[in-house]
Amino acid sequence: MPFLPPRARRAATALAAVTLVLAACSSPDSDKTGKAGDSSITIFNGANGTIVENWNPFSPTQLQPTQGPLYEALFWYNVATEAERQPMLGTAAAWNADGTELTITTREGVKWSDGQPFSAKDVAFTFDLIMKNKAINATGLTLTSSVAKSDTTAVLTFKNKSFTDEASIVGYTPIIPEHVWSKIDDPAKTINQNPIGTGPFTLKTFSSQSYVLQKNPNYWQAGKPKIQNVRYISLATADAASAALTAGQVDWMSSFLPGLEQLLQNHKDLSYVNTPVLTASIFTCANKELGCTGPQTDTAVRQAIHHALNRDQLNKLAGGGFAATASPTLLLPERDKKWIADPSQVTIPGTPDVAKANQILDDGGWVKGADGIRTKNGQKLSLTIQTVTGWSDFISLNDAMAQQLKEVGIELKPTQLSWNEWNNNQVQGRYQLSLDSIGLGASANPYYTYQPKYATVTTAKVGEAAGTSGNYSRYSNPVVDRAVEIAAGTNDEAAQREQYTIIQKEITRDLPYIPIYVNSLLTEFNTSRATGWPTNENKYALPASWKVWDNGIVLATIEPVA
Amino acid sequence: MYHLLRKLGFYLVALWAALTVNFAIPRMMPGDPVEIMLSKLGQKGPVTEDTREAIEALLGTGAGRPLWSQYRDYLAGLAHGDLGVSVVFFPAPVSTIIGQTLPWTIGLIGLATVISFLTGVGLGTLAGWKRGSWMDNLIPVTTMFQSVPYFWLALILLFLLGSVWPLFPLNGGYDVYEVTPGWTGEFLGSVVYYGTLPALTIIISSIGGWMLGMRNMMVSTLSEDYMLTAEAKGLRPGRIMRRYAARNAVLPSVSGFAISLGFVVAGSIVTEAVFSYPGIGSALLQAVGGNDYALMQGIFLIITLSVLGANLLVDLLYSVIDPRTRAQS
Repeated sequence: MPFLPPRARRAATALAAVTLVLAACSSPDSDKTGKAGDSSITIFNGANGTIVENWNPFSPTQLQPTQGPLYEALFWYNVATEAERQPMLGTAAAWNADGTELTITTREGVKWSDGQPFSAKDVAFTFDLIMKNKAINATGLTLTSSVAKSDTTAVLTFKNKSFTDEASIVGYTPIIPEHVWSKIDDPAKTINQNPIGTGPFTLKTFSSQSYVLQKNPNYWQAGKPKIQNVRYISLATADAASAALTAGQVDWMSSFLPGLEQLLQNHKDLSYVNTPVLTASIFTCANKELGCTGPQTDTAVRQAIHHALNRDQLNKLAGGGFAATASPTLLLPERDKKWIADPSQVTIPGTPDVAKANQILDDGGWVKGADGIRTKNGQKLSLTIQTVTGWSDFISLNDAMAQQLKEVGIELKPTQLSWNEWNNNQVQGRYQLSLDSIGLGASANPYYTYQPKYATVTTAKVGEAAGTSGNYSRYSNPVVDRAVEIAAGTNDEAAQREQYTIIQKEITRDLPYIPIYVNSLLTEFNTSRATGWPTNENKYALPASWKVWDNGIVLATIEPVA
Repeated sequence: MYHLLRKLGFYLVALWAALTVNFAIPRMMPGDPVEIMLSKLGQKGPVTEDTREAIEALLGTGAGRPLWSQYRDYLAGLAHGDLGVSVVFFPAPVSTIIGQTLPWTIGLIGLATVISFLTGVGLGTLAGWKRGSWMDNLIPVTTMFQSVPYFWLALILLFLLGSVWPLFPLNGGYDVYEVTPGWTGEFLGSVVYYGTLPALTIIISSIGGWMLGMRNMMVSTLSEDYMLTAEAKGLRPGRIMRRYAARNAVLPSVSGFAISLGFVVAGSIVTEAVFSYPGIGSALLQAVGGNDYALMQGIFLIITLSVLGANLLVDLLYSVIDPRTRAQS
């Protein structure tokens, strides 16, 4: 401070001293390791801003650890890898031949976190409550009755054939205690301030900036969980999250951090795992009959784009090298291998086939003009592609693809919109191309990808809202529709696979969604306070810190560092 | 009295107009709240077509009601102090969310604004009084800080004082790890410590304007004839500076202060984003992201009220400190 006069300099020194003392007083997390009985980890699950209390497992605005750490379902589906469903509160679930009656066997010896015993009556009560309250029937179950035949058997009956609802029934419905919820007037609107569940954790403290869960001493899996306290915090930006991670204030978070390897190099306690599950794809408004306009309604154009993309380069430029190879069937090459019929459709080559792309366009009647851009009947082969402002990797993807497609005579014009507008355009079908991801299904069964994305029932005319996360492409193909319907009518995997083969043949030709790569899903861990996190070799759960259900599995598995 | 009533009448009309604009603007945004909530849910896990019906039943929106009846309900609700129910934080009432976030914003930004104003005006007075002294050199420095984009300045300070030399915490409103909220010395100390760096950035980036304005007004006031008279009468220099020069020179700064006080609530978005501070700005961001009309309206209402309130206060205050403005009536 050479430019300050002596008096000011003294004052500044005093100020620095005061802050140092204050810093010492509040002792930021220097002694948070230590005994297992006192072990504590901190999670950033993407929450930003103020946190509003809501532990209602049926509420769409519930706090994320409600499902998993606090409440559990009958079974749990691991979508990170190819795996059987794992029994949780249920031990078996079997359909009758018609798919209208589901008999559930529940686990014995489970207690609610208030010490009361859990039984099949709670399961029957949960589904009865859903049947009677439309507002909490998020998966649209057509229940007609839900009764407990004994303490360990519950029977659900349905109006329609419901094989395909199995995952949402047994895997995504939180089971709630009858002795608590029978006294709640409106199950949709309660915030359930004192959550009583069967999960590995219970609520300890809540404030609008952070909340703490603690070990449930009554948990039914003996010896689990090993961690005593789990704290959730809220951070505003990715910058703040990355600073908190390197400062050792966060133990578990999932953010795409640019230069991750470099960032972690100097911190030996930090590690990461990459579990790509979301396929980044070009959504195309493909169907002229439902009102889509633009060159992308021509199948030849979509095929040409598919062949002209240099995916290895895109991964390097936009994906940080973390992305995995996608499959033209829109399934995951590794996890879903058994569902992909044609071995040549398992993965997309990383290098482009420019000659083939040119050939397809030439055959389709698209002629190269003087400026290098093709035209057909006076229509220029020029497409707009939309993505969201601030999604930096998607923005780089668009820019790189624009360069690559130019080589085959396609002009790509990237635009950036607010999330609301981008989403609204997709829902309404008012776009030509849009960059988005194919989301997580209820289970690894391809039905949960093919039905929402390709069936006619989940789409609508341009200008009308398509089904949620539904068929934004406006794709409509009677062959696919029939195959989806037949696959839904059975729970025999061999019969389903036959139908999926038909679907795959259609969609890999028509390409209403053009897959690019399976986007990275990076999760960062601090191993100085807890170990046993999922790894690339052992994906025992989807490690993303924002995932519901899987969170409970991970938290029950990790162990404190002695 | 007439003067006062006319002012109040004007403010009432302004309030009504602001409320109506409040109502209209969020509804012009693309997308609808049910759709947005569904799409956000779809990113976390599977949703089906029927989820829409469940959410419509939950929020009570369903078939679009005519705007006119929404407007009537909106005004009627406001009259009862009922701001409605938030969509983003359903089923929490808007008033709860505002109550939870507003104190943090007022505490941080409000105090920082007041400190910045008082220091800036004080330094400006001195700089104008002792023209040509070393204090004049402060002015280019402070105005440079003001011209640097605020978020950049804040990020750099956070990086330097939070990461490189960890004098201050990186984020949050208090130490969530060790301290439980409550009226305890420990908690208040933590709040002050966590608020220091954000407040510092606000003060550094805004002090230049106050200082420059005040200094220049001082200089022009000092050349007035009555200053010469005061000196000729042999008044003490300190008295001349404070009672004669500064009091006249501060008038434009006071009206500027009213405006900036009004924007305390609105101006906090960037600060809160950089420092992960739990105030009302981040709640507004989330409301916009989720097309949460009720919450947006609630926060806009607070902003409107604070701007109008601060202006009214200064209008009234002005007639006290500057007798010329009431002489007309």
